[in-house]
Formats: sequence, structure tokens, C-alpha cells
Amino acid sequence: MAILRVENLCKSYQMGEIEVKALKDASFQVNEGEFVVVLGPSGSGKSTLLNIIGGMDTPTSGKVFFNEEEITGFDEKKLTEFRRSRVGFVFQYYNVMASLTAEENVELAMEIVENPLPVDEVIKAVGLDERRDHFPSQLSGGEQQRVSIARAIAKNPELLLCDEPTGALDYNTGISIMSLLRKLNREMGKTLIVITHNSDIALMADRVIRMRSGEIIEDTVNLNPVNAEEIKW
Amino acid sequence: MTKMDLMLFRMIKNSKSQFLAVLIIIVVGICVYTSMNMASDNLRNTLDSYYVENSFPHLFVQVMGVPVQQTERLKRIPGVSRVSGSLTMDVPVLSKDTDRRKTLRLYTMTGGPQELSMSMLLEGRPLSDARKEIWLISQYAEANGISPGDEIRIQVSGMDHTLTVAGVVANPEYIYLIENAQSIMPDESNFGVAYLSETTGRLIMGEGQNYNYVRIEYEPGADEKALIKDVEEQLKPYGVNSIVKREDQLSNAIMQEELQGLVMMSDSLPFLFLFTAGFILMMILSRMVKKDRLKIGVLKAIGYRNGQILSHYTKYAMVAGIAGGLLGSTIGMALAGGMTKLYLEFFNLPLLRFQFDITYIFSAMVLAALFCVLSGIIGARGVLKITPSDSMREEPPKKGKRILLERAPFVWKRFSFSRKLVMKNIFRNKKRTIFVITGVTLTYGMMMFTVTMPEVVDQLMNQHFTEFQKMDYNIGFYKPTHESAVRDLYHVIDIDYAEGKVEFPFELSRGHKKQSVSILGLEKDTRFYSFMDSRNKPVYIRAGGILLSENLAKSLKVKAGDQIQIKSYLTEKKEVQLPVAGVIKQSLGMNAYMEIDEMRKLLLEEGMVTGVLLNTDDSVSEKLLKAANVASIMSTQDMRKVYEEYMDLIIASIGFMLFFSGIIGFCIVYIATMISINEREGEFSSLRVLGFTKMEIFRMIRRENNIITVAGILAGIPVGWMFCKYSSEVFSTDIYSLDMMPTLGTAVWAGVFTIGFVLLAQLATYRKIRKLDFLQALKNRAG
Repeated sequence: MAILRVENLCKSYQMGEIEVKALKDASFQVNEGEFVVVLGPSGSGKSTLLNIIGGMDTPTSGKVFFNEEEITGFDEKKLTEFRRSRVGFVFQYYNVMASLTAEENVELAMEIVENPLPVDEVIKAVGLDERRDHFPSQLSGGEQQRVSIARAIAKNPELLLCDEPTGALDYNTGISIMSLLRKLNREMGKTLIVITHNSDIALMADRVIRMRSGEIIEDTVNLNPVNAEEIKW
Repeated sequence: MTKMDLMLFRMIKNSKSQFLAVLIIIVVGICVYTSMNMASDNLRNTLDSYYVENSFPHLFVQVMGVPVQQTERLKRIPGVSRVSGSLTMDVPVLSKDTDRRKTLRLYTMTGGPQELSMSMLLEGRPLSDARKEIWLISQYAEANGISPGDEIRIQVSGMDHTLTVAGVVANPEYIYLIENAQSIMPDESNFGVAYLSETTGRLIMGEGQNYNYVRIEYEPGADEKALIKDVEEQLKPYGVNSIVKREDQLSNAIMQEELQGLVMMSDSLPFLFLFTAGFILMMILSRMVKKDRLKIGVLKAIGYRNGQILSHYTKYAMVAGIAGGLLGSTIGMALAGGMTKLYLEFFNLPLLRFQFDITYIFSAMVLAALFCVLSGIIGARGVLKITPSDSMREEPPKKGKRILLERAPFVWKRFSFSRKLVMKNIFRNKKRTIFVITGVTLTYGMMMFTVTMPEVVDQLMNQHFTEFQKMDYNIGFYKPTHESAVRDLYHVIDIDYAEGKVEFPFELSRGHKKQSVSILGLEKDTRFYSFMDSRNKPVYIRAGGILLSENLAKSLKVKAGDQIQIKSYLTEKKEVQLPVAGVIKQSLGMNAYMEIDEMRKLLLEEGMVTGVLLNTDDSVSEKLLKAANVASIMSTQDMRKVYEEYMDLIIASIGFMLFFSGIIGFCIVYIATMISINEREGEFSSLRVLGFTKMEIFRMIRRENNIITVAGILAGIPVGWMFCKYSSEVFSTDIYSLDMMPTLGTAVWAGVFTIGFVLLAQLATYRKIRKLDFLQALKNRAG
């Protein structure tokens, strides 16, 4: 069953004095529990797509349906509500709050939802039990990304959106993060959309959507996804 | 505590120096608000209770002599509740110190429950009828080191009397111990008041069974106007010299003015601080929001609402407001006690009605919080504009524009690279530049006002005592005398030059505007007064018109050429109408002036004088010590001394003002520089990578600040001028007219002080720059 349906999505925006056409007529759908990788070089429109799916941005035209409900017609208030309760974000640069400890960063997200996951469970699930009282400045990049993932899943969202989650990490840490995401997808049943320019990560996905210059150029199902430990880049 | 609040407290902790700077301004503002408001409330309450407890009258009537029975009859006038009569006389004190004439004003008292203006015995014992005893006013006793048991020798109508001081008292009529409206300042060692029993009084002063001073108390809700008319009617046959309402009674009028001044200060000064604090908070928060763009985006991405994030930042301001309010009002409360006591001591109020009005803590906190929250919302409103997706993207570079100076290549090319950078930073970040310029402008304006004040007061004294009036001595007689008395004085004193004068109280009116003042009758070509109009053109005293001081003309709403009514309190004289011949500048006092012969003819008696103005090097006090008809000898030199003492008081308060202005300037410049450093960490990091030293970077900031300081000072000149102009209007009273015009000297001093505080702020900035890890800014992003 489709959890997400994207129809003819277009987005242009102003960057300084230049108009950028970030997305051109993109259409696809994602099924519940699926692990989808959106693959493309930088500037291909992946982040824009993710932002619109996640309710962080609005399209110039086109529609996005989440569980058959059109979110592209939502106003600011409804979009905030959508982000709050339905989706979780993981960013390339972690974007954790520097003034909060690992655990407090997770609690920051939990405080605004009605049925969050227990904080201990989440912290344990991302392997940060020993480091929960550390501030971001005391954590490695991989650990900060784990905090970011914990913060995203603590709200118990239906959809997890990851924007280049390994982009700022070294190889080994990247593998461990991808392994963690895969585990959350398989064990907790979270639908996962990862955007990346790293084609090797696509080997792990159930479905791969390739983008170039704002357009979807390929949407394929991967019948034999591999484990994170098996990939190399 | 929510995690957002936790972040807030850590945010405050991380920016503690900035937060502290704002907090100081709020604390000072609220402290001033609480302490001054409470001091003025307590002073007002104390004064009111003091008046009630000692039966301070509503009306004071000076008569030539009214029989005791007639005084009793005044009680029948509707609305009158109590009447008490008294004999009063100004007499010279005979002392070894003959350089300065000491005057004692005697009042008889009955000591009964019906007595008005009761004295409060502070030290000593009740008066006895059997002996010549007095109660002495405490200010005079203290200034002359007199205590109960001591003796005072006075002279009345050529006879010496020795009086024993039975007690030292305070009296509501002389809280502010002042001889008359012309004295303006208290001269406690040379003018005193003494109270004596009626029996002793009549023995010394004579006057048969008459009173020459009547005090009247009204019933609540009495029709004052009708009542005064009735009193005047009944006393007219006995020669009314003056009728003074409670609000015009000298000591009370000065007290009320002091209170009003205190209220005015407590109403305006704190707001200056709160506006500054609000302004700074706005700047801090708007910059903070800009810096936290990514963090705000992430919070929005997680699902935090605009309102939640806005309130997160606004709380920063609110915490500053509440903490400042609480701290400021607590310190203010503590200071209020001391401040009230100081005021009470200054005014010799013998009782204290002091209460901690807890509502001031709440109102101070609400006030501070309100100001801060409002500034916080305005400052942090940028939160609303940030969208999570935009925040994730790199901010587009600011539109590059050439600054105005670049269009003048001749100048621009001569600048070094760092100097160019300085100029660009100043012109590109207009908001920040305007913020600092405003801060410096405000500081300079306050400094200018502060340093102008003592100079103006000094100038005012000089102007009044050397340019406006030029006599060495002003001698007053007990009773109007024939002008031959002036000639007689030449036989006693070695006089260079003398002129007779008449000085009498009259009621001047035009339409429904009325004012009781002394009209001074002077010789046509008087050498003792130089009158100037508002355009500094000389005005001469001539028959056919009356000259009014500016404040008098203003209160009567008249100008030169208008007709005014002059009502005499004397029985036989009718109302006279005269044209205003001119309006003259007079910085101290409120008076009218007429040509002496015309004044005598129209309003008094021909050939009479009430005093003499004279120039001499002779020791007047000594020679006139036993002169029977001499009531007062005021030397200009003595008056100046009194004013100089008053100046010391002003200079002490100037110190406080300088300190306050400095705090504002310091905080603004410090915070603005801090914001500038935080915002430009990236830029500085690049410069460090290029090889710039920390000192060179500091120098750049310093140069920016220097240029801004100069601009701020230039803008501060008109602002300071406006402060002075506004203060001239606000602080001018019936007693003195301030004309605060900053001079070049004050402008320079204000500049020196401003630069001093800016330098101090820069030193603090340098410390911060040394500590800053510029290379950290080049590392990865974190919210």
C-alpha cells in the first residue's frame, strides 16, 4: 500500500538574483515499510524533493499525497503538524542542538508529540547508551548523526527522511549509520527515504529513484538488497 | 523544564556578558524607578502626616494689626474651622559675629489645642510664661550650635532682650527655612525662627491686644474663593498686607516643587534606561535569530511551531526583564529607605512615614518584562520568516553594492585594504551602524546635559548676582519709612552709593489669571538693576508702565503692551490698571518692577521707602546692628555663599548622572561590538588564515568604532541641545528659570566623557577577541 504518492511535482525558487528550477515534473510512489534511495548528483533536486515530501517546503505545482491525504494543500499550521507527528528528519550535517546533551536532543523532539517512543529504548537502539550525557562538541560525527537519527525516530514517525546521512562521515562510520537505518527500517517497520549521491548505498534499497537536473530519470525496484556491511565506496 | 527552556538558559549562560550588560541597564532603570517612586511616596506621606499632626493651616494672612476679638470673629465665616492669631516680628540677633547680620523671626504661640502650625518639640522643655523663653527652630539651632539652656540676645525697637532657649522645635511652616521669596535659598545660620508665649511676646514686641499674623484652617470641601473674599472683607479695616494660600506658602511651595521634581525624575529617567535596554535586546535578538537560522529551521523541521520558537527567543528578553525587574526593585527598595531618610534629613522633617510598597516590585517587574517582551518580539520576529527548507540551504550572499565612498576614487584609492574593509563594514551593515551611532548619540546627549547643568547653575548665579542686580547690600525696614531714611544711612555707613526702594506684595491679574508677587519700586535710572528683554536688549524702568519677569508674564499670560490689574492688600487703595511696559529676563525669583515715584503715588504713599539698596565697603552688619528699624540686611556676597553650597549638592548629583550615562554608552558599544564579532567570525577566520593578527583584527573593529563614535558625537550635539532645552522647560520653576544652553566647553567635556566610556567598552572587547577561537568558525555547522 502506498504511503506516499508524488504527482507532477515542480519547484522553482529564487537564489539571490537567479531563478533555480530545482524540480521538474517528478512523479513516483513509496510503499509502506519500503527502503527507498533517491540517487543523484548534487544539484539534481533531491533535497528539494525531500523538503517538499517532508512538508518543509511547498511546490510550485504538482501534488504530494501522504496516506492518500494531499499535503501540498496544507497551510503552514497543518504542515507543522504533519512534520511534528508523521515524519522524522535526518540531516547531512546532523544539525543537533549544540547546547543540549545527546539525550536532551532526543527529548527535545519527544516533548512535542503525544506518543513518543521511550527515550531509553531509542538511545539504546542507536547505540548511544554510554554517551547520552555528552554534548555534541564531545561527540564524533558518527555519534552526532546517531543523535540526529534518535531524535527523528523518537517521535515515532511513519516516515523517516534522510538527507545524505553519511555525507559528512568517514567510510566506517557511514556504514554503521546505514546499518542502523536499515535496522530501524526492518525491525521497527519505518518507511525510509534516503537521498544520496553515493550510488553504492542504492544497493541496500528496496527501490532506487535516480534524478538528474530536477528530473526523475529512473525508478527501479531492487529485488536483492544487500546489507550495509556488504557495500563499499 | 522543557528542553527549549533548557536551551534558553544555556543560551543565556553562553552569552552572559551580553546578557549582563542588558541586565545592568534594566537593573539601574528599575532601581531608579523603585527608589525614586518610593522615596517620593514616602516623602509625600510623611509631609501629609506632618501637616495633619501639626495642624498646618490653609490660609496665612499678614495684617498690620487686628484685635484678638476680631480674629475670633473670623471663625463665623462659613467653611472656617479653626483660626489662630499670632504676633510676629523679624528682629536682629546680637552676636559676636558682626560680619553677618543674623535675623530671628519671632512668633507668639498659645500652645492650646486650637493652635495652628504647631511646633514639634524635638529637644528641651515646654515654655514658661514666667521667664523670657523661646523655642528655637532646629535648623538655626543646629547651624549655630545652640542647644536648650543657651541664651540668645536680640534687639527689638532699640531695646536688648536676652532670651533663654527652652527647646528646639520643628514647625511645618519652616520645613524649608527661608526668609522670604527673594532669599530663594535657606541660609540657616543667619535666619532663624523662634516661638514664644503670648505673654512674653507682647512684653517684647508690644502691639497691645492685636495680632499681625492670622492662620486659618478650612473645613473639608470649603469654598476657598468665597472664604478668602470674606476673610479679606473682614480684615480689610485692619490693613491686610498679604493673603497666602497653603499652595503658595513659601516652604510648602518649595516642598511641593521638590516632590514634583522627584516624581518627574522617577517618571522619565527609568524609561530612558528601559528604552535603551529594549533597544539593545532588539538588536541582540534579531542578530541571534539570524545566527540561529539553521537551528530555527531544524526546530521547525522537527515540528516546532512558529509561536513556540518565537516565544523561546522572546523568553530571553523576558528573563532579562524579570530578573532585572526583581533585582532592580530589590536594590531600589533597599535604597529607597536611605534615600527617603536623606530627603527627610535634608528637609528637617522630624517624623518618618516609611512603608515598603510591595506593589512597586510588581509594577517594576511588569514594566521591565513588558518592555523586554515587546522588544524581544520585535527583535525575534525574524523567526517567522525562516522556512526550514531555506534554512538548510546556504544563505545567498548579500547583494554586493559599492558604497558611496567608492564612487570617490580619489579618496578610496588612498585607503589601505583594512581601512577599506572598515569603511565597507560600516556602510554595508547599516542597521548595526545606526544602532551604535544611536547609542553613542544618546550617551553624548546625556553627557552634554549632565555637564551643562552645573555650568548653567553657576552662570545663573553669576548672571543674577553680578549682571542682573548689582548692589552690595539690600536692607529691609520693619515698617515703611520716609525716604529721608536713605540720607540718614549716609551718616551711619560710609556709603558709595544708595537708592531707596519700595517692595510690597500685590495681587497681579489679567482675566482669571492671578499671581501674588512683590512689586519693587526702583529709581528711574537705578544703578542696581540691569533689565534685559528676551533679545538681550536693555529695558529701562519708566513711569507709565510695569515691568514683569518672564516667568510672571508667562503665568499671567501677558506680553508687553497688555493691561494688567494690580490689587493692593492695603485698605485705602483701589485696584489700579497698568500697561506692561516690558517683559524682562530674570533667572531667580518672580517679580514686577515699577518706577518708585509712580508706584508710591498709585499704590502706596508718597515719599515712603521700605528699604535701601547700597554699595559700600563698610561693615554694614556691624554698624546697623542696633539700628531700630532695620529688619534685614542681605549682602550679595552672603547670598552667593549660600548658592555655592547648593552648587556642591548639584555637583554630587551630576556624578551619579555621569555614571548612569556612562553605563548606557558602555553597554551599547560593548554589545554592538560583541554582536559584530560574533557575526563576523567567518570573516575574521578567513583574515586569520590570510595571516592577520588578533591585534590587527581588533584594530579594524576599533577603527569602525572610532568612526561611529565621531558620527554619534556629531549627531549627539543636537540631541544634547534638545535634552537641555527640554530640561530648561521642565526644571524651571517660579523660583528660578533655567536657560540651559550648551557651550563649546560643555560640548568638548561631553565628548571627552563619551570617548572615555567607548574606550572602556573597547578594552572589554579586546579581551573577548583575544579569547575567541577564530578557527573554530571554519569547522562544521551545528545548530
